[in-house]
This record gives sequence, C-alpha cells and structure tokens, in this order.
Amino acid sequence: MAPRSDSQNLATGSGVSDGSDQSSIDPIFHLLRILPFSFLRPPRLRLKIPSFTLPSPMTVYALILLTYFLVVAGFVYDVIVEPPGIGSTQDPVTGTIRPVVFMSGRVNGQYIIEGLSSGFMFVLGGIGIVMLDLALDKNKAKSVKASYAVAGVSSVVIAYVMSMLFIRIKIPGYLH
Amino acid sequence: MGGKTEPAKSESMATATTRSPDLINSSFFSFKSLKLKTKQQELLLRISILGLVYILAFIARLFSVLRYESMIHEFDPYFNYRTTLFLTEKGFYEFWNWFDSESWYPLGRIIGGTLYPGLMVTAALIYWALRFLRFFVHIREVCVLTAPFFASNTTLVAYFFGKEIWDTGAGLVAAVLIAICPGYISRSVAGSYDNEAVAIFALLLTFYLFVKAVNTGSLAWALGSAFGYFYMVSAWGGYVFIINLVPLYVLVLLITGRYSMRLYIAYNCMYILGMLLAMQIRFVGFQHVQSGEHMGAMGVFLLMQVFYFLDWVKYQLNDTKLFQTFLRITVTSAILVGGIALGVGTASGYISPWTGRFYSLLDPTYAKDHIPIIASVSEHQPTAWSSFMFDYHILLFLFPAGLYFCFKRLSDATIFIVMYGLTSLYFAGVMVRLILVATPAVCLISAIAVSATVKNLTSLLRTKQKVSQTGSTKGAGSSKASSKVTLDQSQPFQKNGAIALLVGVFYLLSRYAIHCTWVTSEAYSSPSIVLAARGAHGNRIIFDDYREAYYWLRQNTPTDAKIMSWWDYGYQITAMGNRTVIVDNNTWNNTHIATVGRAMSSYEDEAYDIMRSLDVNYVLVVFGGVTGYSSDDINKFLWMVRIGGGVFPVIKEPDYLVNGEFRVDKGASPKMLNCLMYKLCYYRFGELTTEYGKPPGYDRARGVEIGNKDIKLEHLEEAYTTSNWIVRIYRVKPPTNRL
Repeated sequence: MAPRSDSQNLATGSGVSDGSDQSSIDPIFHLLRILPFSFLRPPRLRLKIPSFTLPSPMTVYALILLTYFLVVAGFVYDVIVEPPGIGSTQDPVTGTIRPVVFMSGRVNGQYIIEGLSSGFMFVLGGIGIVMLDLALDKNKAKSVKASYAVAGVSSVVIAYVMSMLFIRIKIPGYLH
Repeated sequence: MGGKTEPAKSESMATATTRSPDLINSSFFSFKSLKLKTKQQELLLRISILGLVYILAFIARLFSVLRYESMIHEFDPYFNYRTTLFLTEKGFYEFWNWFDSESWYPLGRIIGGTLYPGLMVTAALIYWALRFLRFFVHIREVCVLTAPFFASNTTLVAYFFGKEIWDTGAGLVAAVLIAICPGYISRSVAGSYDNEAVAIFALLLTFYLFVKAVNTGSLAWALGSAFGYFYMVSAWGGYVFIINLVPLYVLVLLITGRYSMRLYIAYNCMYILGMLLAMQIRFVGFQHVQSGEHMGAMGVFLLMQVFYFLDWVKYQLNDTKLFQTFLRITVTSAILVGGIALGVGTASGYISPWTGRFYSLLDPTYAKDHIPIIASVSEHQPTAWSSFMFDYHILLFLFPAGLYFCFKRLSDATIFIVMYGLTSLYFAGVMVRLILVATPAVCLISAIAVSATVKNLTSLLRTKQKVSQTGSTKGAGSSKASSKVTLDQSQPFQKNGAIALLVGVFYLLSRYAIHCTWVTSEAYSSPSIVLAARGAHGNRIIFDDYREAYYWLRQNTPTDAKIMSWWDYGYQITAMGNRTVIVDNNTWNNTHIATVGRAMSSYEDEAYDIMRSLDVNYVLVVFGGVTGYSSDDINKFLWMVRIGGGVFPVIKEPDYLVNGEFRVDKGASPKMLNCLMYKLCYYRFGELTTEYGKPPGYDRARGVEIGNKDIKLEHLEEAYTTSNWIVRIYRVKPPTNRL
C-alpha cells in the first residue's frame, strides 16, 4: 500500500515500518484508506524509498576540485564573452596564419585553451601540496610515502614554474 | 613573574657574600631577568608579528600618496567625499534629510535615503575624534587614509578568525597574507574612499563573530555578530551576500546532522536582531521582509523553529514509531505552508523579485541581453584566469590544499570557511569586482594550508629527538635493533628533505611578497583622475587635465550652470566643479541617462532641442586622441548608443557601424561622422598634428586619421580645452532672436 511504504521516515533512513492501520495518527493515511483504497486493491510490491546517505568528505572534495578548476580557468568568461579557442595572427612577411595562444594586451581577457591550461596548472599545484601531506601519513609503507613525496614536490615545482611562464608571456612587463 | 623573582633572591645572596663583582653581577642578572618562559616568548612573538603586519598593511597602500599627492581617486569616492564634507559641516540630521538639487537636474536626488551611510559616518567619527584630541586635520586627509586604516584592522580580525578556525599559526599567516594580497589592495589603497574600504572589515568581523557564536553558543557573541551585520548593512550593498551565505551555512549544517543548541541560539539572535537593526537604514528599509533576495534567510529561520519543535517533541514522546509519523506530518506540512506563503507573496507582488544586479550573478548571461548599463561597466565583466593570477598569485595553489585540510578536519567552523570560500570564488568568477569579496576566504584557507604544511615539516624535523629516546631504551630482540638501524638511516634523509621543503615554502612566500609589492606599485596605485605616462626618455609625464577642467568650470561658469556629460564624470563634476549635472554615477534613472545618450548620438539640431529642454548650459566630453588615452568618450560611444537605443528606438546601433565595425576614419558611416559626440570631440582636431610622420587629424587612441576634419558647430561654441586636449567643454548658445 502506498501509505505503508510511505511510513519509512526520512530522518533515520532505515525503515521502521508502521504496525497496524488503526494505530496510525496520520490523517492523510486514513483519508486514502477510505477513498480510493476501499474498493481498489493495490498490488503487493517490494519497493523501498531510496535512502539518502551523505557522501564522504573526500568525494565532496573531489567534486569541489573539479568546480574550482572550471571557475579558475575562466569558464564563466568563456561562456559569456565566447572568445575563440585559440587566437590567430597573420605573419606580415609570408602571409601564413599563425596561432596565438595567449591573448595579449589586457589582463582580463583570455582564449579558451589558455584558460584551461592555466587552470590545470593551479589544480596541479594544489594536488602537489595535498600529496606532500599524504606522504607524511604514518600508516603507509615507506616506498609509497617516498613516491608521494617525490610526486608532490615535482607537481608543485612544475605548476609554479609553468604558471610563472604563462604570466610572463601574457603580461610582457611582468616584474619590471 | 617567576623569571624575575629568582634572580632577585640569588642577587641578594651574591651581594651578601661578595662586593667587588657587583657591576658584572647586576648586568648579568638584568640579562637573566629578561629570559622569559616559553609561553611569554610566544606571546611576545605573536604580538610583535601582529604589530609589524598592522604597520605593513598600512604602508603598502601609500604608493599613490607618495608619488602624486594625497587626493581622492576614481569616480565614486568623490561622491562619498562630498557627502562626508556635508556631514562634517552641517551635522547628522541635515545629512540624513538631505535632498540634493545639484545632481540629476531637474529631478534631484534624495541623498539621505539613497546611500549607505556607514563609510561617511565612520570617517566623520574619526575626524571628530582627532579634532577632540586637538589634531586639526582636514577631512580630505581622513578620507584618503580611512581605507588603509581599516585594512590594518582587517588583518587583526583575520588573525582572530584564523585562530578560531584552525590555530594561532594559521591566524598569523592569514593576517600576513591578507595584509598584502592584491585582491584586497586594489580597492583599499590610500585615496580609494569607497564603500568597500570599510565593508570588507565589517564582513570579516560579522563572519568571525558569527562563527565564534556558533562555536561557543554564547548569546553575547551572537549579539556582537548582529551588530557587526548592522555595520555591514550600513556600509555596502553587498550585505546581501551575508544574509544569503549564513542561512545557506545553517542549512548545510542541518543537512550534515550538526544541528545543536549553539547553532539555534547563534542564528536566531543574529537574524532577528540583525534584521531589526538593518531596517534602521533608510536605503534598505523593509527589504528584509519584502525582497526576494532576503527570503532565504526567513525560510531557514522558520526551518530552525521546526527543528527545535521536533527536537522538543522527540524529548517529550517516548514512542519512536509515533514520533516518526509525527515527523513526517510536520515536515510535509511545514514545507507546504512555506511554499504556499512564498507563492502567495510573490504572486501578489508583496515580495519583489530579485533585482537585476544580483540576478545577473546567478544567471550571468542576463545582464548582457537585458540591462546594458550593468553590462557596460568594465568591473562587471566575468573573470579571466590572468585576473585571478594577478590578484592571488600562489594563493591559487594553496586554496585547494587548504580545502583538503579543512575536509580532513571537519568542524562547524571549517565548514563555514569552506562554504564562504567556494561561494565567493564562484561569484568572483562571474564578476571581476567580486574578487575583493573572495579575498578574505582565499587568504584564510591558504593560511590553513601553509600552517598545516609547515607544521608537518617541522614535526619531521623534531622526530629525531623522539626516535633517539626510544632507541636508547633497551629493546629485546633483533627485530627492534634492525628497525632502529633503518630508522637511523632514514633520519638524516628525512631531516634534510624537510629542511629543503621548508626552504621551498619560504621561497614561495617571498615570491608572493615580491609579486604583491610589484602589482600594488604598478597596477593598483593610479588615481585615475591623474594620468601618467612614460615620456620619450623614460621620464614620467603627468596629465592633470581632469582637475584642470573641473577647476575651470568652478571658476569660469555661473553658479547655476548645468553641465551635461556622460554619467561617468557626474560625481567628479559635482564634487570638484561644484556645478549641477544632468546624470551621474548613481545611474538610478535609466531614462534620464538614455536621454543624454540620445543627445550625444543625434545630429546637432536634434541634440540642441534635447539640451534646451534640459536647460543645459555646458557640455563636457573626454577625448583621448592627442594623448592616446583609450578610456575616452569615443570608445564609450557605442554604450551611449545602446543605452539610448534601449529607451528611444529612433537610435539604432547599426547606423553607426560599417559592416559591424566601429570606425571613425573616412570609411565611417555618415551618421557617425555628423553626430554631436563626434563633432565635439574632433572640433579643430583636423588642424592638429599629433604624431611625427602622420597626417594632421591622426587619432592616436584609435590609430586612424579621422574622416570629417571640417567641423562647424552651429548651436555650441568651444569654451575650454585642456592643455592635452583630454577634456573639452562647450557652451550651449541661447536660441537666436527671431527677427
């Protein structure tokens, strides 16, 4: 019966099914019992309301990292301003079209690919620091800890060097 | 103090026995008396660090005062300065009831009811306090230095906030990071006398007091957070962020099962008292019960009452089965009643829908299609990756790492800072201006990452002593001996690695400091009203044309003259030129602005009719063709056409474009070559040679030679052009007498 399967409450999750019809104080249950279900016979189903379990913190963290990547890569800028994926310039001598990766001239402008690659570098740097912390976890084998440490340090170094390179290309007068 | 009394006793014993080494003994004991216990050393270190950070935050923002002079920057701060001047001269009641007839002629503006008074009242209080102490400073100096002063206070609040969320180490790092972060400096340099200068301090204070209230459950802290919220409401329109973030946080806590009496006390007190206090500001009025943006807070408030009621019923009832059914009924009926109330309120119009400004944050494409005024402001554009990098530097790496540490150690406080960081970073991605709101959260979370990483590394350095102690105790069996050997082998490697990584961390932080100082010096310290450029020999050339033009207006026009210009310059003209303007930066009346836009983009005859109807005496335009200044009125012209065309369909944007392209040279459309803005900007420009090797009439900002050089004005005459042709003022001639 629909009201019977309804009685699995939302707060605790696992079902404590209602006992007999007469002891229920639910008015809607009584109403439904009288009106359609006095002459209709509902089939016997083995359905359960899906219980809602909270995801673990690390799952949420992974999703958040994905959103962080999108925001920092300038995804909203891409959607609204709709820049090309990669810019192009014409070589004045030969006349061939050459691609331009970084939009130059303004601080607040980008092409799609340059945004995505910079966003990836930022997330890589963050993950590097996380791996450094995982390397200090006492419960793992030494080789695992060592590889985490090496991976973490190399990620941070690569991410920092690449980000500095990108910003130097984009803003020619950087740090002068 | 224990450290001091012991040497005193030994000193008396020493002097009792010998007399000759008196001097050496006393100096030796004075050094010994300075030796503090570890706790006192730590306190001294913390206080000195905070003191240095306080001073650093202040002096990092003084570049423009040292380079130019102590003046107000930009456009909006001039209005704030004018109102603060009025407040200090006439008193609070005149200020609160002020109707200004000098702007938005002929409509006027109710200033008392359409501004956020927090900034002006704060500056006036500081001014009166200084005068009370007999420091007779000018109010302009107080206004210029208000923002750095409050930035220093923000670092202190950041320290306490970091201490609340994580520990004192994180608090200190947060204070240092926020003191020099370019995202915050950009809107709080000396001279940037704008609402955000005070609002970020109020925002962080409110959040800190609220988190403290949730952690302790104390009514006093909740009361403090309500007053902090009142200060924020009085200071900035961005208070809507607080009134939506705090209920969202409460909702997340309820979902994750962290409902507690502390949360109940904190939220109820803050919401009710905060709402009542916010209604004292006339500009906000009854929005807390009438506006759609504030309904989330009310909904969560009612949900909290339902939770409390259910908790109480559960406590009274001993029957779990009965309670489950009761829970079901109550939750469904509460949601039903809430939904019906919201529906009735929205349908009847009592609850107003979300305003365009905030709706465009949720749906970023809305402003581009529907509200050109919001879309035209350069600060409202979405953010590219380079703006993030410019304003945050290595904090962009530390932010995800800090989030990881917060998720590892979830508590009520860390959940709050995570939510604040994520929501504010999303909004910062939608609008460049909101990077400012995200900065405190990013600094705090990055501080957690730095503090946790440094703690891990230094604990690695310290384990050597512990292992050597366990190694020294006698261990039976060969396995312990072999493990001791392997540990000893890895010890120096680990220690060296930890030292290398610590050096790396300090290197990164030092690069951050260098970046921040460079960005502050080069990008964020320009007053915008005074332009600077590098001359041919690398020397700095200053263009002070704006102030030259405004002072000319002040001294050479009749006092009741009305000036028509584009709305960007309205505040500056009223504050420095002391003349009535038609439209200004408040942009509250779109039709009035569209009328001005229509006048600027029409032929001279139609524009003259519009100007006569508005009683305009002078027209002011900004022109960058001689200096290469690119933020002039010709570059803004298409926005005038769009805004004017939005209200008056007679103005059509394609009339001014050629093949979709905006041109001012010979190939430009005839409507463009003869409209009022073109004529006023390029009058007599055709005779001027601007660059060596280029024909006369070469526009340096657009990089082309202009199309129409022979311009004749029929109804206007040139009144003044500044020395670098940046600001040009024209007088509107009275109509010719009929003969």
